[in-house]
Amino acid sequence: MAIRQGDLSNKQEELLTQQYRRAIGWNGKTLKEMRAEIDQITQETGHYAGLKELVLKEQDPIRFEKMFAKLRGGLVHARETAKRVAASPIVEQEGELCFTLYTPEGDSVVTSTGIIIHVGTMGAAIKYMVNHDYEVNPGIEPGDIFCNNDCQIGNVHPCDVHTIVPIFWAGEVVGWVGGVTHVIDTGATGPGSMTVGPVTRYDDGYQVACRKIGRNDTLLQDWVIESQRSVRTTKYWLLDERTRIAGCHMIRDLVLSLIAEEGVDAYKQFIREVIEEGRRGLINRIKAVTIPGKYRQVGFVDVPYRHSDVEVPPYAKVDTIMHAPSEITIHRNGQMELNFDGSSRWGWHSYNATTVSFTSGIWVMMTQTLIPNDRINDGAYFATKFQLPYGAWMNPDDIRTAHSYAWHFLVSAWSPLWRGLSRAYFSRGYLEEVNAGNANTSNWMQGGGYNQYNDIHAINSFEAAAEGTGAGAVKDGLDHAAAIWNPEGDMGDMEIWELAEPLVYLGRSIKPNTGGYGKYRGGCGYETLRMVWGSRDWTMFFMGNGYITSDCGLMGGYPAASGYRFEAHGTDLKERFEKQLPFPRGGDPNPAEHKYEQCLEAKVVKRDKQTITTEAIFEDYDLYLNYLRGGPGFGDPLERRPEDIEKDLNGGYVLPEYAEKVYGAVFTVDNRGKYHVDPEKTEQARQAIRKERLQRGRPTREWMAEERGRIERKEASLPVRHMYATSFEITEKFLTEFRAFWNLPETWNLSEDELEMPTFGSGHKKSHAR
Amino acid sequence: MASRKTQILAIDAGGTMTDTFIIDDHGEFVVGKAQTTPGDESIGLLHSAADALTFWDMTVEEAFPQLLTGVYSGTAMLNRLVSRKGRKVGLIVNKGMEDFHRMGRAIQSYLGYSYSDRLHLNTHRYDPPLVPKEWTRGVTERIDLFGNVVIPLYEHEVEPAVTELIEEGVEAIVISLLHSYKNPVHERRVRDIAKATIQKKGKDIPVFASVDYYPVRKETHRTNTTIIEAYAADPSRHTLELVDKRIKEKGANFDVRVMASHGGTISIKANELARTLVSGPIGGVVGGRYLGEQLGIKNIVCSDIGGTSFDIALITQGDFTIDTSPDMARLVLSLPLVAMDSVGAGTGSFVRVDPYTKSIVLGPDSAGYRVGVCYPEGGIDTITVSDCHVVLGLINPDNFLGGQVKLDRERAYQGVKEQLADPLGLSVEAAAFGVIQLLESQLRNYLESLVMGKGYSPTQFACFSYGGGGPLHTAGYVKGLGFEDVLVPAWAAGFSAFGCGAADFEYRYDKTLDINVASEATADEKEDALATLQDAWTELTEKVQQEFEKNGFNSSEVQFRLYFRMQYQGQLNDLEIEAPLAKVNSVEDWDKLTYAFEETYSRVYAKAARSPELGYSITGAIVRGSVDVPKPKIPEEPYVGEIPPKEAFQGKRRVYWDGEWVEADIWEMEALQAGNWIRGLAIIESPATTFVVPPGFETVLDTHRIFHLREVNR
Repeated sequence: MAIRQGDLSNKQEELLTQQYRRAIGWNGKTLKEMRAEIDQITQETGHYAGLKELVLKEQDPIRFEKMFAKLRGGLVHARETAKRVAASPIVEQEGELCFTLYTPEGDSVVTSTGIIIHVGTMGAAIKYMVNHDYEVNPGIEPGDIFCNNDCQIGNVHPCDVHTIVPIFWAGEVVGWVGGVTHVIDTGATGPGSMTVGPVTRYDDGYQVACRKIGRNDTLLQDWVIESQRSVRTTKYWLLDERTRIAGCHMIRDLVLSLIAEEGVDAYKQFIREVIEEGRRGLINRIKAVTIPGKYRQVGFVDVPYRHSDVEVPPYAKVDTIMHAPSEITIHRNGQMELNFDGSSRWGWHSYNATTVSFTSGIWVMMTQTLIPNDRINDGAYFATKFQLPYGAWMNPDDIRTAHSYAWHFLVSAWSPLWRGLSRAYFSRGYLEEVNAGNANTSNWMQGGGYNQYNDIHAINSFEAAAEGTGAGAVKDGLDHAAAIWNPEGDMGDMEIWELAEPLVYLGRSIKPNTGGYGKYRGGCGYETLRMVWGSRDWTMFFMGNGYITSDCGLMGGYPAASGYRFEAHGTDLKERFEKQLPFPRGGDPNPAEHKYEQCLEAKVVKRDKQTITTEAIFEDYDLYLNYLRGGPGFGDPLERRPEDIEKDLNGGYVLPEYAEKVYGAVFTVDNRGKYHVDPEKTEQARQAIRKERLQRGRPTREWMAEERGRIERKEASLPVRHMYATSFEITEKFLTEFRAFWNLPETWNLSEDELEMPTFGSGHKKSHAR
Repeated sequence: MASRKTQILAIDAGGTMTDTFIIDDHGEFVVGKAQTTPGDESIGLLHSAADALTFWDMTVEEAFPQLLTGVYSGTAMLNRLVSRKGRKVGLIVNKGMEDFHRMGRAIQSYLGYSYSDRLHLNTHRYDPPLVPKEWTRGVTERIDLFGNVVIPLYEHEVEPAVTELIEEGVEAIVISLLHSYKNPVHERRVRDIAKATIQKKGKDIPVFASVDYYPVRKETHRTNTTIIEAYAADPSRHTLELVDKRIKEKGANFDVRVMASHGGTISIKANELARTLVSGPIGGVVGGRYLGEQLGIKNIVCSDIGGTSFDIALITQGDFTIDTSPDMARLVLSLPLVAMDSVGAGTGSFVRVDPYTKSIVLGPDSAGYRVGVCYPEGGIDTITVSDCHVVLGLINPDNFLGGQVKLDRERAYQGVKEQLADPLGLSVEAAAFGVIQLLESQLRNYLESLVMGKGYSPTQFACFSYGGGGPLHTAGYVKGLGFEDVLVPAWAAGFSAFGCGAADFEYRYDKTLDINVASEATADEKEDALATLQDAWTELTEKVQQEFEKNGFNSSEVQFRLYFRMQYQGQLNDLEIEAPLAKVNSVEDWDKLTYAFEETYSRVYAKAARSPELGYSITGAIVRGSVDVPKPKIPEEPYVGEIPPKEAFQGKRRVYWDGEWVEADIWEMEALQAGNWIRGLAIIESPATTFVVPPGFETVLDTHRIFHLREVNR
């Protein structure tokens, strides 16, 4: 039966006396005791809070729905209203905020729309406070306000700042409400919310560890002063905090009015049942749209730190690669397991992730494909089993790790899960649900200094919220449309970004060739060319994938294009404007042509694959290209319909050379510059390509034998050897499987000790008792 | 009965049918229907008017000369836009930014979607752009956000660009350059060169510079709206002229006005015609405001349930709120639009049980005119809210739409049983009743959050309920909210058309401003700020005057109202506030403006969210000007008494209510008289609407043919 029946049937007179009791949990328990109980009973029964039956829902489904609708509608509405308080376009225009309601123990009940990765992270913060006896010291009282953004307690990265408020009814905590916004700066080593440069926690910026910051619904003065002195963008910080508080208070009022209507006993029963219902909902959905089995895939992304434009300490100045092999196991009973054994070690960069961000963030994706509904709560978490190897980048064994742009790895490790699920949908016949994966959501244009209003400022462009999406099994991906962390993507208006950034636009264009080729191509990304204008003491940097494409096509589709950077300093643009001469405008459709440089003189032009850099100085008239990536493709490009290739050519989605090489298209151009693809000649060209493919092909065993030799001799670049060495060290099972697959001797190993690079942190790990 | 005095003509020309409402001096009205005649909509309109007048035994020739005024609203323009059948428009933008319009904003790939489809990435899609790549050209220039010239206009690029567009065969040219709302000099120069080039080529192609139409920030919104002006609105002007001409030929002696998005009506000669794109639900809100004025009610919640949606809007202190960057037809726009919340929940909404969670899902899609499973000819398999009404006996299956449509109760019963009751383990009646309860509780939540979200309490408001499905659910969705009064007009089904007829002849013009005043600003700085605001008001006032001059009104006949938009510095959302002063110049005036802002701000958000230490920004100036026009009269009948006349009683019907079958009194709405008092459970029927008075409620008909609904046991 449900959690201790007695907790659900309080007498009114008992409630009154509770107000004078110390313990603020139900029926005289502490919150910590309640937490332990829930975990134990859930573990024992396999049902959340031991609820084998949903009594309230089954006896009165209408009442249950009404309660759900009231809470859910109220949370969404609170988010919509509160976000209008904010000054930051990240919050107001891009919707990077979210509100969630929790049980007293910190399990999520209902959430609003928005960055719902935080369903779990704010819960982790609440659990931390519960387990650290906050009700004794510093005390948890009605009207209190708490703040957390500490990654190792429960966060993705420090720029996601949580405001957490307890909800009391007759002296008992009946729940918590948490609000989170993505702030524009956290006072890290470099400006911007997801700055490049931090290599440890101590560089990551201002971290607040579950601190009480207000009483009686009012912020404490020492908190306001300290926080204002700790970040660069004080005005944004202030209004973001007021946004979060306004939303939390609206939701607290909502919960209290629901309890007044329905009674506290029904409310207590409801919040338990709705979580168990969420758990069952996910399982039923998995049963309906997938086929049981194992789905394996892998993701990689580059950390090119051994470069003169990356200023970090010597132990961090190394080139490494993130490795994320994953295995989805779908059991016959609908239970899902996600196993990341073989992942590489955490590193001295800011792309590490915490386990809670990893397990919670999965739902940001799942709601876009597997469970697109409003029933998101910790039930889904309880329905899924995770294996995240200790010591890997998503489960660091060292508190020193930095996290300011955890998404660099998260995006690259999660995109393969879409491929895994897509194979399951495909097998089951849900072709419309297939999606080849996601763009690497970059570049992140960030920087800071004195802005056009002469204020100290940091920028963080969210044009990255509208990347190309993955191709499906029945249609192309969508161009410049969404991000893995936000299906409701938007690039925003240029006039609004120019309010926030001292950079004028010289171009905003669709970027050809950026979506992966395929029978159905990935959505293309876009690019914006910016000229620095009206700033002082200004720096900027790049953040994104460059040397490695972080996704992979599906069923013959190509991956999306990887990144590159273009920046120009000391330009002659001023003179060009005065003389009305040509200068770089619009896109850079074919980077190989160096089109910009043909109408530009500059002291320094950087055009290369180094797409992660730390702060560089930018003056007025300097240029910065912000290139937002495309999505991966689906199916063999030789099966793409000629009329679609024609549309791609005329719309500027593919360069003619690649239409020929990859798609085998044969076409002409008329005198108005319009392309016409000849279907018959195209078919002939494709036959030739197929023949050539057969000639090039060789038996797998033969190829494997050759590869095996290279592996045995450890012939691979240093970053690749480093990547595997860390994977082997962390997960013995992965090494065993690797040896077995490649038929390597029992003694074969590859360890970090043999590598010609510093491996700070690895020795510590070895001596660390698990 | 040619003795009737016709007063007002309101026309709603839909995609397939044109509805005509003619209102007489007693507030009585007749409705006519005829097929819409695309190309020349005046033909269908006259047929429709003739059809309406047959109820009064009158002809168009008899009725039209008596009319005092006429208002047109139609979906022709919207259809032209949605079906992408507008003009061939050429677009000139900044060189380098030629792709921005066809890229659209990504938000346009899921605008109008339900919550779950917004999350469900694979459902997103873009509509084709209004202007394709081939008809877009760029010219070099840049102006920054402060209005400074960063890059001069490369004038030599303009003529070739225009020439190429002419050669492409475009029928109109739109120009939209970045930050032109702030400094229009380049955009106007391009416009003038374009006009000269067109003339040189001996062509007659209209040119639309965004700054001459919608000088407000956000280039996607501004450009979309200006393109619509050229693409769909301007070509519709001819249609409107024809309507005006034909009506005058039949003896009318007034200029036809058109319903516009800001809630007023404008002349067919108006500069910005795109704002007449809107149709339908705002008429009801305008009607609500007018009825409130007549009855002396200042704070009103307007609620309208049709077959597909529940639309709600607030009127506070006698005025509705305006959304300045709304979306329509999946495009973001910069039109002022009467703010309304619309939820996909109506009487035709589908009812399903989620197979995974076993929860009841209402809508968001609906059967629309096909009613539900109960209407065999509709061909619908999935049950709807209407099916539940039929099962419960709330709707008389033999008298739906006055008996024009026969409904099959048995089909509804089987459908509800199989699709809803059995999966949930409930009786058919309990399941159907549950659906109604769930729908009404969701509507109640929306109403409550709309009112509370604006910082008010329902006790300060009267609720108006109308629309074909409104009165069926009024009691359910107002229950327990504590509205000051709940009003159901007997003409609920025709309330939107009534609202169109009641709209002011009013222009509203907006201008973006960027006036920043720090919290510690000096008196001089405050006065400078006020001077800028005052200049903007003067400019907009002149613009409004010019519009009225087109219809022969001089400025002394125009009543002006001034508004400003304000926010704390750095915020991205402002609030629109009516200026407490007609002229502003002193520091005291500044304080009055900021005081008015802070009052509203702390009500809407929270006192704790006030941030005066950041300083203030004035982000916009607005001028509204109106002239007096005739409006429909509210019915006025003598008080008769509490006891309804015998002939109004239609007998009893079995209705399932809250767990049991009970006998409900059935009344004929038309036969009830002022003062009549009816207790629940009762159902008051008219051909177009059904008004349910549940147990625990009572209603009284007042002398204006408006029912007042009350909870008895509160």
